[in-house]
Amino acid sequence: MAAVDVAVTPARKARGGSGRGALGILFAPVTLLIVLFLGPMVIMGAMSLLRFPPNTASGYTFQHYIDVLTDPLNWKIAWTTWWIATAAMVIMLAISLPLAYYMVFRAGRWELFVLLSLVLADELAPVVKIYAWQVILGRNGIVNWLIPGPPKTWLLFSPFAVIVTLAASYITYTTIPIYAAMKAIDASMFESAIDLGAGWWVQSRRILIPLAAPGIFIAMILVYIPMLTDFVTADIVGGTGSYMMGQRVRDLILGAGDWGAGSALNLVMLVLSIVFSLVAYRLARLNRIQT
Amino acid sequence: MATNVAERAAIPSVTALPPTTGVRVRSVAVTWGWRVFLGAVFLLLFGPLVILMLFSVNDSNVLAFPLEGITFHWYTDAFHDQLLHAALVNSIVVACIVAPVCLVLGTLTAFGLTRFRFRGRSAVSGLVGAPLILPWLIIGIAALMFYVRFNIDLSLNTVIATQIICTFPLVAAIVGAQLFRFQRVQEEAAIDLGCSRMQVLRYIILPHIAPALAASAIFAFTWSFNNYEISAFTIGFQQTFPVWVYSSVRNPDHTAIVNAISTVISLVQVVLLWIALMFLRARSGDDATRGMLAGNEAVASTGRT
Repeated sequence: MAAVDVAVTPARKARGGSGRGALGILFAPVTLLIVLFLGPMVIMGAMSLLRFPPNTASGYTFQHYIDVLTDPLNWKIAWTTWWIATAAMVIMLAISLPLAYYMVFRAGRWELFVLLSLVLADELAPVVKIYAWQVILGRNGIVNWLIPGPPKTWLLFSPFAVIVTLAASYITYTTIPIYAAMKAIDASMFESAIDLGAGWWVQSRRILIPLAAPGIFIAMILVYIPMLTDFVTADIVGGTGSYMMGQRVRDLILGAGDWGAGSALNLVMLVLSIVFSLVAYRLARLNRIQT
Repeated sequence: MATNVAERAAIPSVTALPPTTGVRVRSVAVTWGWRVFLGAVFLLLFGPLVILMLFSVNDSNVLAFPLEGITFHWYTDAFHDQLLHAALVNSIVVACIVAPVCLVLGTLTAFGLTRFRFRGRSAVSGLVGAPLILPWLIIGIAALMFYVRFNIDLSLNTVIATQIICTFPLVAAIVGAQLFRFQRVQEEAAIDLGCSRMQVLRYIILPHIAPALAASAIFAFTWSFNNYEISAFTIGFQQTFPVWVYSSVRNPDHTAIVNAISTVISLVQVVLLWIALMFLRARSGDDATRGMLAGNEAVASTGRT
């Protein structure tokens, strides 16, 4: 079936229209992208190389990159960002895997309802959702009200709050690629496994996880990218112990006005994002998951 | 292989036996286990909004449990707040410009990329995909530097321009996926039967991509309305709604008003989106909706910061 698809697709495409027609249709969008998307990227690249940005007469240097990559503070922030993102990822996978399994194999007519709810929850204003977690986890919030004893101050303005809020914000994005991958699994495999005497643990470990693995990897990569640059969550519910990379870049540029270091750091993250997404793209291509 | 089939065929007679009590208890426990799990997931997704709603009618400016009593005066306060009023109008104006422009640009892009073969096609599709992959923080900062470098005053116009760049590739992805699935044969048949280009567009292509266009319009509008990162970097002295929320969150006098307006906005969004999603489902069926949403979200996931 797959081989047939591959054989048919190029032939069908080859009958497409001419280059001139494409030029007419794509002219406006591509011009806009070049001016308003590539243009800013080039300017940012230039700012990261100028000795004293934004003074274009000061000459070029790689000093900003060297400074940024040798500053121990940046490495410390990168480490904080990484472990916070990873903790959030672990929570999300612990929820997403069973949720995706439920949607595909057990939900029946509720499948679409759960999917729509996930999408709906994601489309609500993120700033409002993050703010709501501040209300929940706060000193007088519902959690401290429900749990007896003195108020737990580590609930809010802490790495804990950031981890929980990140996990709640990105749960839709981890669930859906895993759901898409599981959707391709033939349910009769589980029946055979049960007939052969496999329990739920063996079924998950030997069938579910290996077959959903591409979806899981794609979900991880795609959610790591935005989590590593997230600054809104850490701003609203985070504290001094959860200062993240996104905040660092924002503060360098808007706070300290250090365009050189800020854009160099930004470009380092840009390269990381591109590498991550190319890996995800390869994985998706290899496994023919339509994204 | 053949023996497996024979074995499988023999199984039903075994499973058809009445289950023992132990099995029944266990399956009830499993069902309830799933219900509790789903309940927890929905609490995680929508619980925060319920909490905001509770506090928005709480007769106290302090966010503390237990609640003090019911009031609606935070809603009237929110209604009379000038800054909030301006921010909401700004957000709606921006979204009302961004969404239609993105719909046109995205559809054009989708057509160009799926219906034509030309040199540099993969470069163009990479360029279109890039704003979806890169975090909004990076795009926002680069845009800020660009506008400052060329002495363009930051205003709602710069917000609109940058949001369009980040949003129309999403429309292109959604519509493109639909066009890709669609058989060209139908267009060719219509032309062979004497349809003009416009008739093909009107009677063959448009009905087919209508659900995708509807979905794109919804997503483009909400993306624009909810966007904080890009607005924060490219806006001047004005505020959009997310920027207003962000700056009000730190102000203790404002929290009750934030609760009230957030409740209203979230409820309106829930109702509108739900109607839109149901409409989509009625038009294109369960399977297509599922595919479209799963595809969209996978595409969209990379763009979020």
